Amino acid sequence: MSGPLFPRWTNTVSRLSAAALLAVPAIGIGGLMAYVRSPYVTNQQMPIEQPIEFDHRHHAGDEQIDCRYCHWTVEESPSAGIPSTTVCMSCHAQVWNKSPYLVEVRKAFFADQPIPWVRVHNLPDFVYFNHAIHVNKGVGCATCHGRIDQMAAVEQHSPLTMAWCLDCHRNPEPNLRPAEFITSMTWAPPTDKAEAAALGKKLAEEYDVHSRTSCSTCHR
Amino acid sequence: MNTKRDGAPSQDTSSFALPVVSDRPAPAADAVGEALEHAAANASSSENGYGRSYWRSLEEKLGTSEYLEETRPEFPAGADLAPSGFARREFMQLLGASLALAGATACSTRPQDERILPYTKTPPEVSPGNPLHYASGMTLAGNTSGLLITAREGRPIKIEGNPQHPVNQGAAGPWEQAYLLSLYDPNRARVLRQGKSPRALRVLAEDVAGLVNKAAPADGGARLRFLTEPGNSPMMGDLRNRVLKKLPNARFYSYTAMTQDAESEAARALFPGQAVSALYDFTQADIVLSLDADFLESRPANLAYARQFADRRDPKNGPLNRLYVAEARFSITGGMADHRLRVKSQEVLAIATGVAQALGGPAASLAGAASGKSQLKGTPEEVQKINAWIQAVVADLRAAKPGRTLVVAGERQPAAVHALAHAINAALGNAGTTVRYVQSPVAEPTGLSQVRALVEDIKGGRVDTLVITSWNPLYNLPSDVGLTELLNPATNPNRAKLSVLYTGLYEDETSQFVDWFVPAAHPLETWSDGRAVDGTVSIAQPLIQPLFNGVPESELLALFLDEPYRPAYQMLREYWQGQTGGAADFESRWESFVSDGIIAGTASAAATATPDFGAATALVTGYQPPKTDGLELNFVHDYKLFDGRFANNAWLQELPDPITKMVWDNAALVSPATATKLNMEPGSLAELSYGGKTLTVPVWTTPGLADDTVTVALGYGRNGLHESVAKGVGFNANTLRTAAAPWFDGGADLKPTRGSHKFSLTQTHWRMEGRPIALDMPVSELTKPSVETQHILHRVKGELKPGIHDNLPDFDYSNGYKWGMAIDLSRCTGCSACVVACQAENNIPVVGKEQVARSREMQWLRIDRYFEGPESDPKMVMQPVMCVHCEKAPCEYVCPVNATVHSDEGLNDMVYNRCVGTRYCSNNCPYKVRRFNYLHYTSGKTSTEKMLMNPDVTVRNRGVMEKCTYCVQRIERVRISARVEKRLIQEKELQTACQQTCPTQAIVFGSLNDKQQRVSVMQEDERAYKLLHELGTRPRTAHLIRVRNPNPALEPAKTPAATEGSH
Repeated sequence: MSGPLFPRWTNTVSRLSAAALLAVPAIGIGGLMAYVRSPYVTNQQMPIEQPIEFDHRHHAGDEQIDCRYCHWTVEESPSAGIPSTTVCMSCHAQVWNKSPYLVEVRKAFFADQPIPWVRVHNLPDFVYFNHAIHVNKGVGCATCHGRIDQMAAVEQHSPLTMAWCLDCHRNPEPNLRPAEFITSMTWAPPTDKAEAAALGKKLAEEYDVHSRTSCSTCHR
Repeated sequence: MNTKRDGAPSQDTSSFALPVVSDRPAPAADAVGEALEHAAANASSSENGYGRSYWRSLEEKLGTSEYLEETRPEFPAGADLAPSGFARREFMQLLGASLALAGATACSTRPQDERILPYTKTPPEVSPGNPLHYASGMTLAGNTSGLLITAREGRPIKIEGNPQHPVNQGAAGPWEQAYLLSLYDPNRARVLRQGKSPRALRVLAEDVAGLVNKAAPADGGARLRFLTEPGNSPMMGDLRNRVLKKLPNARFYSYTAMTQDAESEAARALFPGQAVSALYDFTQADIVLSLDADFLESRPANLAYARQFADRRDPKNGPLNRLYVAEARFSITGGMADHRLRVKSQEVLAIATGVAQALGGPAASLAGAASGKSQLKGTPEEVQKINAWIQAVVADLRAAKPGRTLVVAGERQPAAVHALAHAINAALGNAGTTVRYVQSPVAEPTGLSQVRALVEDIKGGRVDTLVITSWNPLYNLPSDVGLTELLNPATNPNRAKLSVLYTGLYEDETSQFVDWFVPAAHPLETWSDGRAVDGTVSIAQPLIQPLFNGVPESELLALFLDEPYRPAYQMLREYWQGQTGGAADFESRWESFVSDGIIAGTASAAATATPDFGAATALVTGYQPPKTDGLELNFVHDYKLFDGRFANNAWLQELPDPITKMVWDNAALVSPATATKLNMEPGSLAELSYGGKTLTVPVWTTPGLADDTVTVALGYGRNGLHESVAKGVGFNANTLRTAAAPWFDGGADLKPTRGSHKFSLTQTHWRMEGRPIALDMPVSELTKPSVETQHILHRVKGELKPGIHDNLPDFDYSNGYKWGMAIDLSRCTGCSACVVACQAENNIPVVGKEQVARSREMQWLRIDRYFEGPESDPKMVMQPVMCVHCEKAPCEYVCPVNATVHSDEGLNDMVYNRCVGTRYCSNNCPYKVRRFNYLHYTSGKTSTEKMLMNPDVTVRNRGVMEKCTYCVQRIERVRISARVEKRLIQEKELQTACQQTCPTQAIVFGSLNDKQQRVSVMQEDERAYKLLHELGTRPRTAHLIRVRNPNPALEPAKTPAATEGSH
């Protein structure tokens, strides 16, 4: 009996395995690259539980309290500022002053102990982000932080990867908004593309925006 | 085959031979190689640095084979080895631990929850993330300097000089800046104790109250003694007076190691019945003679004097001054001298006498009294040379306009020399111009005589209670004073009758023998005040609550009032309220006192009397000259550790000594000739004997020291109980000192003994291969250059050939800023304040002696000290070198991961997070300014040490390269505030840390795009040159050639080129 040493189906096997040999590393690498960009790694879409159930939906949304009422150093300091307990108590000494939700706040206030909030946006230690310059040049809160007014517990909206930073630093115009809407959660650029581009250009000129991409801009 | 080397053309005439154009090696294929070759060809070693011989160490100068072998590779042996002393087993344990942790954290990519702790009530002035600046002060040995301290969220992180302070003028020396490190030092004492039992402050207060209540009615405190630092604090003086009102018979003695004993003794003789001190004005002095006075570096007025002096060293400010220095050691001031005469310390009196005699007047009569007290020793030629030097000085002093000269005597010199210096100044008409006599800020007598009186009191059984607030007297007193023996129970049988209370920052040599020990509050933790040398009062405000339960000195002294407790703040405020006469606007005046840091109008009034030189004759005739035989032993204060109180400060321990470049050590310094005579080599051990005592010391040779002298620095050999940094560093020279001759005496002997000592020096690291780096020349050479000078200038400033020297594309900086720096070598004294400033600003770690020996020191800024001329009596040039931010940077194109890149404003950015540690950049850097973290030097910081870190600068990890960034964090902070306000950065709002602190303003930083800025003007100066210009790296930092102003009588000018034909 004579026949082919390798049956015909081995052709398919060899083709498939050759393809797999190329595809597996490609998919593996591609998968890894996709993975490190995924929210799972960038920590997006991950609402953070806080020691006190502070609800931005209520404060920033329903009550329309300006962001800067609590994050008061955002226009002058690298840090936006976490409100001191006094700021909480300035309202809550009057309203909801018996609410069981606020027991921890009152305790912290009267014991003069800080409330240990959990950090949501955590940049690496070698990155020096500055809120003041962004806010002063027309980059709004919602541009990076998203619709805080719709978050029960605050989560990280943007990936905060270097590529994401550089996208805007290379072309900031689409992300600019008029200063009077800087803390607005609902402001949107004009829907008309040409109009939006013109606005971005105008704002960039008006606010004297020149975003820099040299390494020492952020890494020192 | 034609084996002939390059040179003669081929002689092969065979008709079959192919035409040979040349048999030289093919031209270098790349332009870089060609440029380097060109540079190498032009830097032949025989040329000796363009006709001048600069050298950094004796071994280099003499070219000993061991030295060349050791330093021929760029890095010393072992520089790239793994750390030793790290047992394998330990390593495996650590590895195991880190693997286990890695397993634990790998489950989630989210970093561990980081907490944000806001204030309960934010102080109104704080906006988190922005620094705040507070004016304050630091009192050191009876003098308070004004400081401006940067705090971040309540943590002081940087100390600078107060720009409004008349002495500091914005500058701060190494000590003030490093004081911050001692604030956070985990070795600081924390426990108030009686004997070995911890006690509450209340218990001590009750104890003191009991004592005061018993003593006040009984004998008025006659058996109570205080030993304090010199009292320059008005508030403490007031407190002291109130204690004396309650206990009128108690006695206060004051002592500190850096005493102005001799100076004040002379002043007391000249102005009987008054406490007067002399202030100098170097701006008006055309000719300055320093009689062993290190006025550019020795406390307390050095910062002001250095600025004034430096302003006269810039040819743009008019004719240069001329400085003559006579000294035995090589001091920083000696390095700045136009003519330095090395003589034994005891012969300085002979120099002063010689000058005084020649000048006549009261000076001559004083000199007559001094004649015979000090003789110039040496061969007739040497004596003749010294006499010629004196004659030249005298002629120069005479030729200058009256009142435009200045003679300064050093604090180590006896009162007789001070009296002579004052007499010479009077003869030259300097009183009222370059010399001002003012009421002394420290009115009381102070010094060794006070300690001797105290010792007599104790010996006579007249003391029950002794309170010591002076720093560590049992360590820093000369050994024969005998206080240690009295306080040590083992040597004093009556010790039990004496109760001793001591307060200090550390448990030190003194605290081991005391009954009560009170941990002191750091000056940055409490309110105080104090006068500067000119009398100006600074209010020192605290920056932080006491970290280690320290008790302020004022509150401790107030215990003896037996009054209700009042904090230091209240006492200080009430005192000044009383001083202002209870003015209605006191509140606003107090606000300005504190915010300015100084109290305006408190400068000392001028002395009313004129000096009485007749009265000083007794001082001169009574002077007992020291022994003249044997070696002369000189004790000096250390440039880094002062009298030893900074010994536990790692920044200062690792700061290279300005002259020897030694770290973590002191040594018996001798001149090369003396070392040869005594048959010693650098690093060998020797027995130093003096006055019947012997000490084994390591020897180091320093060029330029007077022959037959030994110089030892005080402040080392500490063995305080908990001072772990200071322990085991160097030897304690106080054990040889005597009260009779605290600063120098003859009759010492140095004998070689078995063994050797390994020093760590930074001077032989990062060697520059004999190329012309630091340049100095007589000022006349600038206008009429000699052939030699023309040659040099051509080499360091010549045109660069495009394509050879200049082979990288140009960048466009027409928009925005173009950062640059200029360093004026004429102004730089080498004081090293900038090195400490850089260390504090940029979170630079300390690596330790062993690591420095392997060239792993991390200081971004180094000061190269070059000697020039003969090894017996060289001149000195100081050159600060940090990253010069090359336009065509060799480091940039070798980095495989783009971790060092050019910024759009010409900075050579270092991106730590990209760096993988190949060290290619460092290898390719011609300036050797890059520093590599061989180990994780910042690990193991205690929680208080972490508070010190500047949050604007990344703390680097192991395996990362780093270097000077031109303080990019300061640039970016200022840029952001300027951009928010939509304006350009102003020159005065942006200073690098080194520039800010420089006492002489030698370092200037700014944008070269603005031609008005000082940095642009300096870069355009005719003296400006770029380091290793011929390599075509185009540094952004320019150095300015140092100019000297030699006396033609002592150093004839070189023949100008014009007469010899041009180069």
